[in-house]
Amino acid sequence: MASLSEEVLLVVKKVRQRKQDGTLYLMAERIAWGPEGKDRFTVSHLYADIRCQKISPDGKAKVQLQLVLHTGESTTFHFANESSALKDREAAKELLQQLLPKFKKKANKELEEKNRMLQEDPVLFQLYKDLVVSQVISAEEFWANRLGGVNNTDPTLFNNKQEVGISGAFLADIRPQTDGCNGLRYNLTADIIESIFRTYPAVKQKYSENVPHNLTEKEFWTRFFQSHYFHRDRINTGTQDIFSECAKQDEKGLKSLVVQGVKNPLVDLLSLEDKTLDEGYGVSTTQPSTSNANRTVKESSNYAIIKRFNHHSAMVLAAGSRKGETPADQASETSSTDGNSRDSDFFQPPVKKVKLQEAIEYEDLQRENRPKTVALNLKKSDRYAHGPVPLQSQQYTTSQDIINSVNYIRHEMANYKPNLTQVVSSTAASSAIVALSPGGVLMQAGAQQAINQMVPSEVQGELKHLYVAAGELLRHFWSCFPVNTPFLEEKVIKMKSNLERFQMTKLCPFQDKIQRQYLSTNLTGHLEEMLQTAYNKFHIWQTRRMMRKT
Amino acid sequence: MKLNIEGLLVYFPYDYIYPEQYSYMLELKRTLDAKGHGVLEMPSGTGKTISLLSLIIAYQRAFPLEVTKLIYCSRTVPEIEKVIEELRKLMEFYSKETGESNNFLALALSSRKNLCIHPEVSSLRFGKEVDGKCHSLTASYIRAQRHSNPNLPVCRFYEEFDAVGRQVPLPPGVYNLDDLKDFGRRKGWCPYYLARYSILHANIVVYSYHYLLDPKIADLVSKELAKKSVVVFDEAHNIDNVCIDSMSVNITRRTLDRCQNNVDTLQNTIHKIKETDAAKLREEYRRLVEGLKEANVARETDIYLANPVLPDEILQEAVPGTIRTAEHFVGFLRRFLEYLKSRLRVQHVVQESAPQFLKDIFDKVCIDRKPLRFCAERLQSLLRTLEIADIADFSAVTLISNFATLVSTYSQGFTIIIEPFEDRTPTIANPVLHFSCMDPSIAIKPVFQRFQSVIITSGTLSPLDIYPRILDFRPVTMASFTMTLARTCLCPLIVGRGNDQVALSSKFETREDFAVIRNYGNLLLEMSAIVPDGIVAFFTSYVYMENIVASWYEQGILENIQRNKLIFIETQDAAETSMALEKYQEACENGRGAILLSVARGKVSEGIDFVHHFGRAVIMFGVPYVYTQSRILKARLEYLRDQFQIRENDFLTFDAMRHAAQCVGRAIRGKTDYGLMIFADKRYARADKRGKLPRWIQEHINDGSLNLTVDEAVQLAKHFLRQMAQPFRQEDQLGLSLLTLEQLQSEEMLQKITQIAHQT
Repeated sequence: MASLSEEVLLVVKKVRQRKQDGTLYLMAERIAWGPEGKDRFTVSHLYADIRCQKISPDGKAKVQLQLVLHTGESTTFHFANESSALKDREAAKELLQQLLPKFKKKANKELEEKNRMLQEDPVLFQLYKDLVVSQVISAEEFWANRLGGVNNTDPTLFNNKQEVGISGAFLADIRPQTDGCNGLRYNLTADIIESIFRTYPAVKQKYSENVPHNLTEKEFWTRFFQSHYFHRDRINTGTQDIFSECAKQDEKGLKSLVVQGVKNPLVDLLSLEDKTLDEGYGVSTTQPSTSNANRTVKESSNYAIIKRFNHHSAMVLAAGSRKGETPADQASETSSTDGNSRDSDFFQPPVKKVKLQEAIEYEDLQRENRPKTVALNLKKSDRYAHGPVPLQSQQYTTSQDIINSVNYIRHEMANYKPNLTQVVSSTAASSAIVALSPGGVLMQAGAQQAINQMVPSEVQGELKHLYVAAGELLRHFWSCFPVNTPFLEEKVIKMKSNLERFQMTKLCPFQDKIQRQYLSTNLTGHLEEMLQTAYNKFHIWQTRRMMRKT
Repeated sequence: MKLNIEGLLVYFPYDYIYPEQYSYMLELKRTLDAKGHGVLEMPSGTGKTISLLSLIIAYQRAFPLEVTKLIYCSRTVPEIEKVIEELRKLMEFYSKETGESNNFLALALSSRKNLCIHPEVSSLRFGKEVDGKCHSLTASYIRAQRHSNPNLPVCRFYEEFDAVGRQVPLPPGVYNLDDLKDFGRRKGWCPYYLARYSILHANIVVYSYHYLLDPKIADLVSKELAKKSVVVFDEAHNIDNVCIDSMSVNITRRTLDRCQNNVDTLQNTIHKIKETDAAKLREEYRRLVEGLKEANVARETDIYLANPVLPDEILQEAVPGTIRTAEHFVGFLRRFLEYLKSRLRVQHVVQESAPQFLKDIFDKVCIDRKPLRFCAERLQSLLRTLEIADIADFSAVTLISNFATLVSTYSQGFTIIIEPFEDRTPTIANPVLHFSCMDPSIAIKPVFQRFQSVIITSGTLSPLDIYPRILDFRPVTMASFTMTLARTCLCPLIVGRGNDQVALSSKFETREDFAVIRNYGNLLLEMSAIVPDGIVAFFTSYVYMENIVASWYEQGILENIQRNKLIFIETQDAAETSMALEKYQEACENGRGAILLSVARGKVSEGIDFVHHFGRAVIMFGVPYVYTQSRILKARLEYLRDQFQIRENDFLTFDAMRHAAQCVGRAIRGKTDYGLMIFADKRYARADKRGKLPRWIQEHINDGSLNLTVDEAVQLAKHFLRQMAQPFRQEDQLGLSLLTLEQLQSEEMLQKITQIAHQT
């Protein structure tokens, strides 16, 4: 067989795929199937590619196992061995169940991250293509700086991928199905288990305490579904139930939340009433006493449901925001540890003030606070962007000044008398005109303005890419200075050669190309200038180093 | 902007004004001019408070001799604080415009719990504990004792205030509760007593209803407020219940047991004092013979010892001889107590009037009416003489003596109902004596008589004419204002049928019907799928909600709702509900969306606003009728019929509809806000129900949305929500529902504005 060097964990014979008999192999890293009598695999999936497995219900005539891949494709195996089909399937399923999660975790997280970054950022993708694919720099180099930079400089940007919350109805998704003979089946997926753990840390704790030493995983979940804990309307009866402790813990958590009180004074029902009537006064609508003594069974079960719903929602909400809120939590803890709620009075007013202000605000009665501005209405926006810029800042501060100077110029112009004896020579004049015409020496600033008319868009695009790539390389280069470690020395030398290679492989062909198209070569002038500056810097640095060494 | 309201210059601290605010101020001014009372209904979120404050303060400045004080009563602590903040804004505007700092003093007053700065006392959790502890440190006789025994604990803040605080009045300014506390901390004065002292000369006082309506408190706090004051009751749609509550008493067996203990303690203390200090008791006796009322000095701290009856009913004569000595009085209390115990040993429900009760007590134990009337007064005197520190322990005997005084003072407007057991649990004996006030006008009468203008206002006061009737006063103005809208930002829908044509209703016969419950569930489910952010649903009662939630759970409806939004449910525990509320808001904030299941008449429906995304839809499941089987309610209905010619059904519907309106009105707070209002009961479609909704809601119910199915409602809601989601700018409102000064002054607009006020 093809790769016998692989460790084969399980071999199941008489497995049909696409109506063909064959053998199923479960190996260390992949699952494979080959038709009978041939020694090659027609189906082979890496475990890492598999999203989940599905099995046919127990009662069905066909015993099947389906693999769903990340790509959305699926492969179905039919276990055809009459006598042991079910057993075979179970064995395969069990093994897969153990293997798949391992590979899921192993699935290269970093690669995913890189992939995501490239997908999300087309500029980066282009850069990647320009630099890595064309082998200007190696992929590691590219990523080392990229990932590290993202991680170090802007952690929020890196983390701001929103955490996915938990569906409020995850328990509802576990629909029990009757299996025909007075039993119930619950389908649990890894997601649901994760949800349960995140929402109810107490269950997670129980799980880690009991599984696998006391119970198997299956037993644990069976008990979970049997417990009153899961069925919120059932009242705590058995004490042998391992989840009764969870319920107690929940109760405690709920209580502590209640005792903690609320931060927003506007929703604090306890302090809403200013002066409660003393006991015995008022028209009492005889409050049903809250003690459990005279509640009927139904009432207390209803009460339990209501409590559990509040708790569940609170937990789901907390699970969703737990990560992001840690710093805030700490802050609030420090304020609450300062003493009882009364002493934290000093902390209270800000929240309270803000809430009160919010409550009395009528946004539409107020004039908008910003000073009124006139929208800038540009007829030609590029004229605005590239218009003549005064070389040195003039002191035309007030409009009066401007008007004065305009008047002055007008006055001057009116009184202008050409002094014909002192005019410039015609050659000087014509050269000045040439210099001031588009394309002339003095009008080069204007050349850029024309680039979008003069240069075809594909060249423009290419130029843009070159700029980005050069910028990236130069960034690497300049980030090495000041060179104070051997590592940086090494890097700066490498970067220099990278720059040179870039110039050779990318810039020069581009220059040739535009030359061939008779475009003005100074398109790349700035790029070259930048590179030259970098080379100069490098030379200065190198000569200095040499001098120090000698 | 500066407005001209019929010749009065009014400073209004905003650049724009809603037309209805202008109209409101016009009506208000007319009321003040006439020195009469007014009933004004204006939708919530149209800036009622700022209009009120602007006009009354302008009036106060223009006619300082006509109106000397504004007493603004609100219901909850946050409301009080909001009023003060709006006032601060107005005052800042004044000083900016006029360039001078005005010498207005405005302050909020709240209970000790919210104002105390004593480190130990203020750390207590419950208001009652704070009051008791404060009393044990500051009561007049405690302080007197300290002269002989300087080791007794002392509240330095009060002592400091007592020593110097009264000489220098509080500097002019606007003081919120926190400001008072800051000021107190800085000066070392007790903020509570400072505030109580300062309200006498303050221009504006903001406090809760009880300080004016509950005679036990009003007598202490508000007694000396000037007659030329304007009193405003904001959020006054429930004012009748506040009045009734403040005059009613319930006595259970437990009360009597505790009372027995109290009486024993009193007895023992009297014995002890007799041995050591008989002179004190003799002195008290002498005082009582002379019929001298206690001199008022140093009495402000004795809070528990106020008389429960209204000031004009308190007798100014000497305490009758039969209860003048301490022992006789204790003996008298014992007899009274035994009588009450015997009355509670009943097997069937007894209902009688106050005169009947007095006759019975005279027949059985020979207690006369007159000593009963002095009971509260006499107990005050005794407790003070005995120098009992922890008065909170004596709440039971205080309650009994208050009851005695009340029952012997008022022959009308009260009823006594003795129930041997609760209706729901007929096997468990739990006798209760309800002494309940049925006439809200009794408690509020002195307010109307004393102050020259009383304004009753709220977002939901419809139908307006019922309030003057049940509170028994003659208003000079009654008006209901609509909300002028540039876009219809509220969408009331009456859902009368399920998709399967089952009639939806919470009426008793179909309450347990599964089809109705399922359809209600479907309505919520469908709405949860289309409404963004928060949905609030109100049920008619707590028990009803529990049942529905349980059966929704069984039917799996709640699980499906959870797919769309998180679910939070009000419980009977206020702390738990507060937490749920906060989480609910959090879920609305972070975009997950949530549903709050709540109860009409509950704390949430009364005190919490669901502005903007906190409540994009309110669903009212059923008509929130009060529990009609209660005997107290029946007695009250009977009384209303006999005295005020208000039919039972009219009152019940009125009461249900005002609560429904309160609930749905919570969602709209302003013209930039929007929300669905879903009335899920076919009975809302009837004219007698619909007609009792506030005008500003009523006029948006068109005939097409009277009896919708769930599906139809969902379609309409979708359409509405989509429309509302479009950007809404100030320019869209200008000239229609938002006016500049110039627009306001145009002839045409003034014409329009007169139509906004709907006179009744």
